[in-house]
Amino acid sequence: MKIRRRDFFPLAGAGLLAGYAGWEGVRSRRNAPAGPSPVVVVKASSYSDDLAQRILRGVRECGLDVRDQKVLLKPNLVEFDPNTCINTDVAVVAAAYEVFRALGAAEVIIGEGPGHRRDTYSIVEMARYREISKFDDLFVDLNRDDVSPVMKFADRAEMYFPNTALRADLVVSLAKMKTHHWAGATLSMKNFFGLVPGSVYGWPKNELHHIGIPESIVELNRIFRRSFAIVDGIVGMEGNGPIQGTPKPANVLVMGSDLAAVDATCCRIMGIDPAKVEYLRMASEGNLGNVEESHIEQRGEKISELRTNFALIESFRGLRLS
Amino acid sequence: MVDSYLGVRLDILRRAQNPDGGWSYYTGKQSWLEPTFYGALVLHGEPAADRAWSLIKSWQQPDGSWPPTADAAISGWGTALCLTLAHLRGDIDGTYMKGVAYLLKTVGTESELWRRALAKIGLVNPGRDLSLKGWPWKDGTSSWVEPTAHTLIALKKAYAILPAPELTERIHSGEALLLDVRCKDGGWNYGSPWTLGEDQRSYPETTALALLGLQRRAEAGSSIELAKTWLPDTPSSLARAWITIALRLHGVEVPDTLNPLKGPGSPDLMVVALEALGSAGGNYRFLKTEKA
Repeated sequence: MKIRRRDFFPLAGAGLLAGYAGWEGVRSRRNAPAGPSPVVVVKASSYSDDLAQRILRGVRECGLDVRDQKVLLKPNLVEFDPNTCINTDVAVVAAAYEVFRALGAAEVIIGEGPGHRRDTYSIVEMARYREISKFDDLFVDLNRDDVSPVMKFADRAEMYFPNTALRADLVVSLAKMKTHHWAGATLSMKNFFGLVPGSVYGWPKNELHHIGIPESIVELNRIFRRSFAIVDGIVGMEGNGPIQGTPKPANVLVMGSDLAAVDATCCRIMGIDPAKVEYLRMASEGNLGNVEESHIEQRGEKISELRTNFALIESFRGLRLS
Repeated sequence: MVDSYLGVRLDILRRAQNPDGGWSYYTGKQSWLEPTFYGALVLHGEPAADRAWSLIKSWQQPDGSWPPTADAAISGWGTALCLTLAHLRGDIDGTYMKGVAYLLKTVGTESELWRRALAKIGLVNPGRDLSLKGWPWKDGTSSWVEPTAHTLIALKKAYAILPAPELTERIHSGEALLLDVRCKDGGWNYGSPWTLGEDQRSYPETTALALLGLQRRAEAGSSIELAKTWLPDTPSSLARAWITIALRLHGVEVPDTLNPLKGPGSPDLMVVALEALGSAGGNYRFLKTEKA
C-alpha cells in the first residue's frame, strides 16, 4: 500500500504522538526524559560470545516492552572493506533479531539505506548479513523503499522517508562505535542517516550535509522518537572514521532508550567529552535526551573500568575527555 | 541475438512491470523514475517501453525537471535520464526543451560565486577547480560524478539536434570537472578525490559512470585500463554491469565469460536492467554519445 501525503497524518495518528514530532512542536515541548536515563553497558569480548543474552539483559533493564510492536532493526551498513570494521557486525544483528522476536514483537524487519555504495545487496553479501536465516525475507533496502513526506525538517518544508521506517512502532539503532571525520563520533543517533532514501536524495545523501550534519542528526532523532539503541562497541573504529579508520576493540555493547544518553556514554568510553560533540550539545539543549553524566543512570559495567581512548584526527583532538 | 543471459533478464523485467507502466527497484513497490528509465531502454521497441515513457513523461514538473518518483516533488538528476529517453524515442517537443533548459540552469552549489571567491582569496582549499560546473543529485546541493555523467549523456544527445553554444559550454565544463575530480589511482570516487587532505579511493561503479560521461575523450584512456582490471573481480553486480556498459561504449570487447552471473542474481530490478543493457545483445549503445 502506498501512503500519500494527505494520508500521512491520519495514518501516523497515534504514532505521531509517540514517534514523530516536527521541529516547531518539539521545540515548544519539554520532552526530555523526566528522570535519569538508564543506559546499560555490558562486556562482550568477542562476536562469538552469547550476544543475545547480553542484549536481552539490556532490553529488560531498560524496561522496554515490544510485545505486538513492529520493530525495525537499523544496522550501520555503509560499505565493506575487509581490512577494517565499518559495519555493525552480523552477529549483533542476528542476536538482536532473535531477542526482539523472543520478546513478542509482532514483526521484526531489518532495514538500511547505505550512504555511499549504491549496490545495497552487494554490501549485505560482503558483510555476511545473508547468513541470517531468511534474511532476504526480513530485509528492506531503505534507499529504495516506497516513501512518504514528513513536514518540516530543519529549514526544509518537507523530507521524504521510507514507509517501512515511518510505519515502525520502534526503530532500533544497531550502531557501530566509531569516530567520524565530520561529526567527531558516529553512534546511535548519527546512524539514522541511513533512514534517508538515496533514491530521493542521492548517494551520498548530500542534502543532509547542506542542512548541517549536527542539525540533521538532531532532526532525524526528533522524527523517529520511538527508538532504542544497541551500539556495537565490541570492535569499534578509531582515527579517520567512519570508513577509513582502524579497528579499535572496546569490548562492549551499550544500550538504552534515550539515544543521546547512550551516545554520551559511548563517548565517555571512547575518551571523548560528549559536551564538546556538537550534535550531542544540540540534542541536550533541545531537550532531546540526557547527555550530562548526572542525568544518566549507568547500569552494568563501570565506564571508568572500560574507558579506552579512541584515536582522534587532528581537527577533533580538542574533544578528548580530560 | 538474444542469449540466455539477456533472455532471463528481459523476462524478469517484462513480468515485473507495474500496472501503471513503471518499474520499482524491487517487485511490488511503487514505480520510480530510475528503474523505469532503464526498463524502457532495455525493452525499447516493445509496448512495455511505450507505457513506461507515457508514465514518466507525465511526471514532468513546472520547472522542467523530473522527480525521482510521482510522490516526491523533488527536482533532480532524473531529468537527464528522461531527456535521454525522449531523444531515443524522437519525442522532441516542448517537454524536452523545458527539460534541457532546466539542466542548463542547474549547477552544483560548490560553483556559487561566494564559494569561488573564498577559494580565490585562499580562505578555503576545495582541492578542485570551482569554476567547473557539474550537476547535483538534487537542486541546491553539490555536484557529484554520477548525476554529472548522466547529464553529459543527455546534453550531448541534445547537442546533436540543438547545437547551441550554451550546450557546448556546459558539456565542456562538465567533462573538465570529471577530469578534475579523478582520483590519483585513475578512477573516480563519488565527488571529490580527497577528503581532509587524504586521498579517496575510487570505486568501480562511479569510475564506469564517469567513463560514460567522457566518451570519445582521449584522457579517459588510463581509466579504461583501470576499469578493465576491475571487471573480473568486483563483487557488486551493479558495478560489473556499469563497467561492462562503459567498456563496450569505449569500444572494448568484453567477453561474456567475464560476467559470471548466468541466472538472476540481485533482487534489485535496476541491476537486472543494467545487466541486460550491458549484455552483448543489449541496448547499451543507446547511451553512446559523440563529442560536442
